[in-house]
Amino acid sequence: MEIKHVKNELLFKTNSWTFIAILIGLIIFLPISEVFIQLFNTSESWPHLKKTVFSTYLINTIVLTIGTGLLSTLIGVFCAWVIACCEFPLKKFFEWALILPLAIPTYVSAYAYFDILELSNPILIWVRENINLEAMQSLNSFFVYFFTILVLSSVLYPYIYLLARASFLKQGNQLIEAGLSLGHNINEIFWKIALPMARPAVFAGLSLVIMETLNDYGAVKHFGIPTFTSGIFRTWLGMGDMSGALKLAAYLMLLILILLLIEKKARSRARYHENSGSNKPFKKIILSRKKSIITITLCSIPFLFGFLIPVFRLSLWAFISQDAIRSISILSLVKNSLFLSVAVSLLTVVLALLLVFSAKYFQSKLTSFTNRFAILGYSVPGAVIAMGILLLSAQINKIYVDIILSGSLLILIFAFITRFFAVAWQPIDSGMERNCKNINDASRSLGIPAIFSLIKVNIPLIKNTLITASILVFIDSMKELPLTLILRPFNFNTLSTATFDLSSQAQIVESSVPALCIIMIVAIPLISLNLKGKSKLQ
Amino acid sequence: MIKNLNKYHFLLASLLTLIVTAPISAQINLYTHRHYDSDKILFEKFTKETGIKINVIKGSADQLIQRMISEGKNSPADILLTVDAGRLHRAKEAGVLQSINSKTINKNVPSEMRDPDGFWYGLTVRARVIVYAKDRINSNELSTYEDLATAKWKGKIAIRSSGNIYNQSLMASLIEANGSRRALRWAIGVRKNMARAPRGNDRDQVRAVAAGLADIAVVNTYYLGILANSKEKKDRDVFNKVSVFFPNQNNRGTHINISGAGIAKYSKNKSDAIKFIEFLTSAEAQETFGKVNYEYPLFIENNKSDLLKGWGTFKADKQNLSILGIRNSEAVKLFDRADWK
Repeated sequence: MEIKHVKNELLFKTNSWTFIAILIGLIIFLPISEVFIQLFNTSESWPHLKKTVFSTYLINTIVLTIGTGLLSTLIGVFCAWVIACCEFPLKKFFEWALILPLAIPTYVSAYAYFDILELSNPILIWVRENINLEAMQSLNSFFVYFFTILVLSSVLYPYIYLLARASFLKQGNQLIEAGLSLGHNINEIFWKIALPMARPAVFAGLSLVIMETLNDYGAVKHFGIPTFTSGIFRTWLGMGDMSGALKLAAYLMLLILILLLIEKKARSRARYHENSGSNKPFKKIILSRKKSIITITLCSIPFLFGFLIPVFRLSLWAFISQDAIRSISILSLVKNSLFLSVAVSLLTVVLALLLVFSAKYFQSKLTSFTNRFAILGYSVPGAVIAMGILLLSAQINKIYVDIILSGSLLILIFAFITRFFAVAWQPIDSGMERNCKNINDASRSLGIPAIFSLIKVNIPLIKNTLITASILVFIDSMKELPLTLILRPFNFNTLSTATFDLSSQAQIVESSVPALCIIMIVAIPLISLNLKGKSKLQ
Repeated sequence: MIKNLNKYHFLLASLLTLIVTAPISAQINLYTHRHYDSDKILFEKFTKETGIKINVIKGSADQLIQRMISEGKNSPADILLTVDAGRLHRAKEAGVLQSINSKTINKNVPSEMRDPDGFWYGLTVRARVIVYAKDRINSNELSTYEDLATAKWKGKIAIRSSGNIYNQSLMASLIEANGSRRALRWAIGVRKNMARAPRGNDRDQVRAVAAGLADIAVVNTYYLGILANSKEKKDRDVFNKVSVFFPNQNNRGTHINISGAGIAKYSKNKSDAIKFIEFLTSAEAQETFGKVNYEYPLFIENNKSDLLKGWGTFKADKQNLSILGIRNSEAVKLFDRADWK
């Protein structure tokens, strides 16, 4: 973006829509900018960090991100394809079962699996006795990476599954029929037609997975992998060097920014305009007996690892700690979590809609540009956003009397919006790109008022996307931990903070009770989301 | 117009006053890193005895300190409670605590377990001990922390990540005792002796010993109490396979750390807050900490918990604990240089 363009846009193209959108985008970005500025600040321990641990953090982060991204894409796309386009026994079950792992926060999943890693002990001891210590240690490290990637992917792949499946369903079978009639077999159709067409959706899902991976602190801490995020905490908490931690965070964001720009470039090279999806019932590919068995087995694996095993173990723990249920005021926890998540989800979706629409409808490059800043929050660990907000409120406190800034519910909600803006933005952006582009081009050239176009055309067209977006934000808010931990007001606890409090006082068994509540509450909208998607798209 | 504005200002001001001063009954606001049942029991007891209500915000110590810094003069906090002396020292340095002088507290807290300037006070004590596999290791093979860096322990030690504050404090005490060059060599030696790359918490190190993956582990006594009293039989079995050894008994003593509290600089309920700390350091409260939470009392010899008694008495390092804070960042940097994850 060149200065000349910015100036031109500001002078000639800004209207009240884009102006407000740019302003909101910048406000959402404010806590992050507090962190970004730290790139240019000096930190005492920075030379030390650069010399000793920086490269370790970078390599581990990249390994985890690539591993989790690949595995999640593999699982997500495979499941999306067979569910959307094939017919086999138990398909109806897997259709919603495969989404359920999304209900489990990564830290809860890591807890559930932590001592399962102990199962590898006999193997490790055997290797030490029969080969040598070094072989055991290498094998141990391999297990740790392997399990971490597995644990992360098994609860994150649904992001890709959901978006890719919606895309496959939307493509309709006209393309498949066309492909078949041209003599391609189903494999070729998948690789040459369906997958390239679904690429924007897969990329959108993948970027969510990558951001979640970069954000994770609980799982990497438990498995002892030093990543950027755990390095941020270590520098902040361990060395008491907030500016060093913020500098690490700033570099992490730089990395994300580069990734996002690459993704944008990759997507803009190929633009996909489709007529609104085929409403004809979808004719499925019927799988043979042998293929059905293979498909069922493959679909069972992510469901088993991502949902059934953790939930089974948590339930077992909840059962043996029934007396704990009485001592935790579970009802008020549920109430607080619900209130917070609903408020955040509604506000975030409304704001995201406004920002995406303003950018697209008026083809405002400047708004697109500030939007890109507003979504950075999702790639920033929750605790870092909280740090940004603390810095911000310290600055504002210097000018005004502090009434509501730190430790109020409002500031917590604002922090959540900064954190989860991308979750709503991504699907709304790709939804509007796919569904509203042509119509908006037309209505603009006809001089129809923007508000009319937004309410009468865009919203109905992407209603499902909006619902999906709000559910995704709701789910993330229910699961969110570090932000709430730092910024929660007095005597305000949520299910996630209760889970954390209990497990950090070594009551992992008792923490299963609020953890299960999160899973159950999140599972309901997940299933309804699935039903909605089905009735509309099939 | 101006009249209206004044009216508006007046309304706003009175509204703000309402918000700020609404709660009238006696209460203190507590920022705490601790989340234990013992605390809950003690808070309730205190409220019952004095009528002073206790509001709690839990969080990690550094996040709470950061919060106090940004809240500045408007901070509602009266007391900061943490589980490590290093953090209390950092809070003092950050200027969020204030010095107090209470005869009762000074009598209740040994001088090495409180800040020389009266900014913070210890409440409970934990010892960082060596745990060993009963069936494979004889206690006379063990001696000091320093010994763990010798080649005889190659591939036998389980110890958690250097990101953990208890390890950082142990390292700080080693720097203080032996100087930073020897401390760095120690860290490199222990890193080379590890059975596996560090992961998990203290209990997981004990589990690794019980499973045969390692022979000895360095852990906090408090976590052994949790294992011993766990609802899961598996955990109790783990506990039964190991024994406790107190290192450095023939020289400076075993490394200890405290959980402690300080009064917030801008506390609006200072006298009630002091009362609260007096209560927590009283003999009665000290007994509750030991029994419910397996922590040693401030005067270790007064310990009444059967579990802790079973391990016998020990000599504790008498170094003033503020050193753990002063040496903390140096400790972390040495760990980084030793490539101790």
